[in-house]
Amino acid sequence: MKFHDSVCGIALFALAGFIFAYALTIPPMPGQQYGADVFPRLVSIGLGAFSLMLVWRGWKQSPRGTPWVAIAPWIRDPHTRGNFLLAFVLTIAYVLLDDIVGFIPLGIAILMVLFVRQGVAWRKGAIIAVATVVVTQVAFGNFLRVPLPRGVLTGFW
Amino acid sequence: MTAILDALLLIADPYVILLICLSSAFGLFVGAMPGLTATMATALLVPITFFMPPLPAMAVIVTTSCMAIFAGDIPGALLRIPGTPASAAYTNEAYAMTVKGQSGMALGAGVIFSAIGGIFGTAVLATAAPLLAEVAIKFSSFEYFWLVCLGLTCAVFIALDDPVKGMIALFIGLSVALIGLENPAGLPRFTFGVIDLMSGIDMIPAMVGMFAIAEVLRIVAAATTRLPPARTVSGSIFKGQWAIARKYPLQILRGSTIGTLIGALPGAGADIASWITYATAKKFSKEPEKFGTGHVEGIVESGAANNAAVSGAWIPALVFGIPGDSITAIVIGVLYLKNIIPGPMVFTNQPTIVSGIFALFFLANLIMIPFGWLAIKSARNILSVPREILMPIVLLFCIVGAFAVTNSPFAIGVMLAFGLIGFLMEEHGFPVAPVILGIILGPMLEQNFVTSMIKSDGSFFGFFNRPIAAGLGVVTLAVWGAMLWRGLRAVRMPQTAS
Repeated sequence: MKFHDSVCGIALFALAGFIFAYALTIPPMPGQQYGADVFPRLVSIGLGAFSLMLVWRGWKQSPRGTPWVAIAPWIRDPHTRGNFLLAFVLTIAYVLLDDIVGFIPLGIAILMVLFVRQGVAWRKGAIIAVATVVVTQVAFGNFLRVPLPRGVLTGFW
Repeated sequence: MTAILDALLLIADPYVILLICLSSAFGLFVGAMPGLTATMATALLVPITFFMPPLPAMAVIVTTSCMAIFAGDIPGALLRIPGTPASAAYTNEAYAMTVKGQSGMALGAGVIFSAIGGIFGTAVLATAAPLLAEVAIKFSSFEYFWLVCLGLTCAVFIALDDPVKGMIALFIGLSVALIGLENPAGLPRFTFGVIDLMSGIDMIPAMVGMFAIAEVLRIVAAATTRLPPARTVSGSIFKGQWAIARKYPLQILRGSTIGTLIGALPGAGADIASWITYATAKKFSKEPEKFGTGHVEGIVESGAANNAAVSGAWIPALVFGIPGDSITAIVIGVLYLKNIIPGPMVFTNQPTIVSGIFALFFLANLIMIPFGWLAIKSARNILSVPREILMPIVLLFCIVGAFAVTNSPFAIGVMLAFGLIGFLMEEHGFPVAPVILGIILGPMLEQNFVTSMIKSDGSFFGFFNRPIAAGLGVVTLAVWGAMLWRGLRAVRMPQTAS
């Protein structure tokens, strides 16, 4: 999905407005003229100014009939759209479920789903997924001592 | 002298040597895979370097980045697809040589003159950085304020076709840097009561998101992840290179010099150096008509330039803490994690690390020749690794890497959010590198600005009272003026397409 430059500019201007409004709520530093509110104000002014330039430029320079929103080819194609959403959703699933399910089962599941979706054969995908997750567990979990969640495998080793 | 010996002893450690070999292989592999960049390779390694002492961490980053920049030439010559943006300038030239049966010569020129350019850039780094540090040690908050402004502005002004979008990207990065307690009053800003945001947005998950996750999303969203079959390498890669070096000494010198200088400019890295030197090679060539038909001259000059730029980019990073390119932006983040604050004092406080970095650059560029030869020999195997298998593995590695930094799933959320932001920004023509520069330099800019304003009792004239500060201020204002002029001119002369 590709938004027209003017639409992007308006959204960014709104973000700048939010930053400025928030900066007004930051209390000043006692006894000092310049505190934690100054820099956010300057940043919001800069962001707002360049956003307005983008709005104006988009409006002046885009050829007539340029749509406000253009659907990118990858969104139109159900396969590529699915690939994108799957990678995104599986990462969110990892964040939500890692403590309950654990790194090893979740990692294997994520890899398997993505491999199969991308057309990798089941058996080949399963072997690579298990090998990758085990190597990662050993490298990060055992050697580097990163506490990768064990989830359902707690107590197994 | 003691520092140099200490550094050499540290590098001679078998653990460091092993790391150098492994990161060489990793850098060559990532650089040779179209779609995976040297910056992505560096970002992916950051979670691992987190667990290493400073010098081995630097060894991994230096070696990987040098190798990856060269390895981008391999698919350029064999597939006509540049492995990294730094090889894009001469991809057509290299492929034309392959079509003529000279792929060995093209890739040999790539590896040998990359190594020469890299060694030249390192020599300049090792000579210029300590001299600049002696000047920079006298800098106060006023000079640093202007330097950061200049660095941030150059990153947008020099490197990009669209300064308006570049500036917006920069302000987005500065906005992200506002989050957390790191501000003059130590007040929580933009945290909305979320405890994880109190310490600000962690740089590593943000960088992994912007440089790796965005790339993974882009590749999985592409119509096909499969690469076309690669051509074979014909002939010895070393045959005829001495004759080429004797024929084009000026081109090697010019490419190395311009590459180092461009690398040293904040924000302009190996890819810009490569494009500019390919253009200069053609402009000053005695045979400009041969360019584009499989002529090695452009490859010699650009190949030397892009690797010279890699070491050149470390000059502002080490001396001022201002990244020369997106790789050194990551390096600065890693140095902060190791409690090494880049700046002139690093040359006094951490001389072993500084000498070690110089030595590592020399070593990485020297071993580039044998490792590069091996990579070229196994090019067909590297390029046949299916991306439909590689991308999910990269995604899993990013998840674990982001988690490893804070041991919190929140970091994975940050990584994903920045990955999506990076993906959407590139879809809309916004560059992502200025965002990272903004995140890294935002706190430095705020601190120096507020400190200077307090010192000068709120007078802006204080920023011009000291001679170097005044000079830097004038240069910065001149660049801003040029930018404004360029922006206005662009608006007056409408483009045909947005």
